[in-house]
Amino acid sequence: MFLQEAPAETFSYMAFGFVVILGTMGLYLLSLFNRYRNMERDMELLDEVSAKAEPSMEKA
Amino acid sequence: MEPVPRNLKILSGITIAMFVIALYMVFIYAPREAVMGDVQRVFYFHVAAGWVGALAFLVTAIAGGVYLAKRNPKWDRVAVASVEIGVVFTFINIVSGAIWARPIWNTWWTWDPRLVTATIMLLLYLAYLMLRQGIDDPDRRARFGSIYGIVAFVSVPITFLSIRIFRTIHPVVIGSGDPSAEGAFDMTPPMLQAFMFSLLTFTFIYATLLWYRMRLGRLSEQVEKRKMEMMSI
Repeated sequence: MFLQEAPAETFSYMAFGFVVILGTMGLYLLSLFNRYRNMERDMELLDEVSAKAEPSMEKA
Repeated sequence: MEPVPRNLKILSGITIAMFVIALYMVFIYAPREAVMGDVQRVFYFHVAAGWVGALAFLVTAIAGGVYLAKRNPKWDRVAVASVEIGVVFTFINIVSGAIWARPIWNTWWTWDPRLVTATIMLLLYLAYLMLRQGIDDPDRRARFGSIYGIVAFVSVPITFLSIRIFRTIHPVVIGSGDPSAEGAFDMTPPMLQAFMFSLLTFTFIYATLLWYRMRLGRLSEQVEKRKMEMMSI
């Protein structure tokens, strides 16, 4: 037991590994949220355009 | 914003709680590995990310088969959502593996069968996402995606079996590995518990993300349909 070597000093690699793992997961979550919000804005815009278009079509 | 379904809220809450517990188990409950030191803690999420990648591509292949049989667009939504999540987690698996390899193998990358097959698998599914975007007709796109998803799945068992068939330095976690593998270690009971819990947690993360990604897919289809309707007026 007294001859056993201490574990290798690899803390910085561990920290780097978890930054990559958690960072990638966080970025993907952010991307999902942003894409969903953008789609909702598109939908609202399409609703507005079709609401404006309907009265003008009725006149025609 | 369309309200989040109650069951999805519950699933999200459970997943977040499990993730916090998994972090506790990885950093505090599991002991430091005697030879490799702290970097071995990457192992818990590295393998779990690889598992999610394989699971996601399996779900894509199954959803593709069901789409071809029933022609219900819902299954195409499942397939594409699952590929996207699989690509993200396979990327995490490969990069975290490279970071773990640096102090243990003394290199970021080596042309080992596992590393090569995993990278080919990632590239195959990245190509799936890119090629889909080039097809405008939704039916053709879904048919192409289904067939591609089934064929590309061949890369998953090849990746899994690569360290069992070929001579490799990559350690085998389940079953006995090549004696020349470097970075192998015996798991103590707390390490095994942290590992199993991480696998379960990542499975929940996959299910939660899949649900959110499918909601995005449905909304995207509605917007696309609406645009087509307006253009035809």
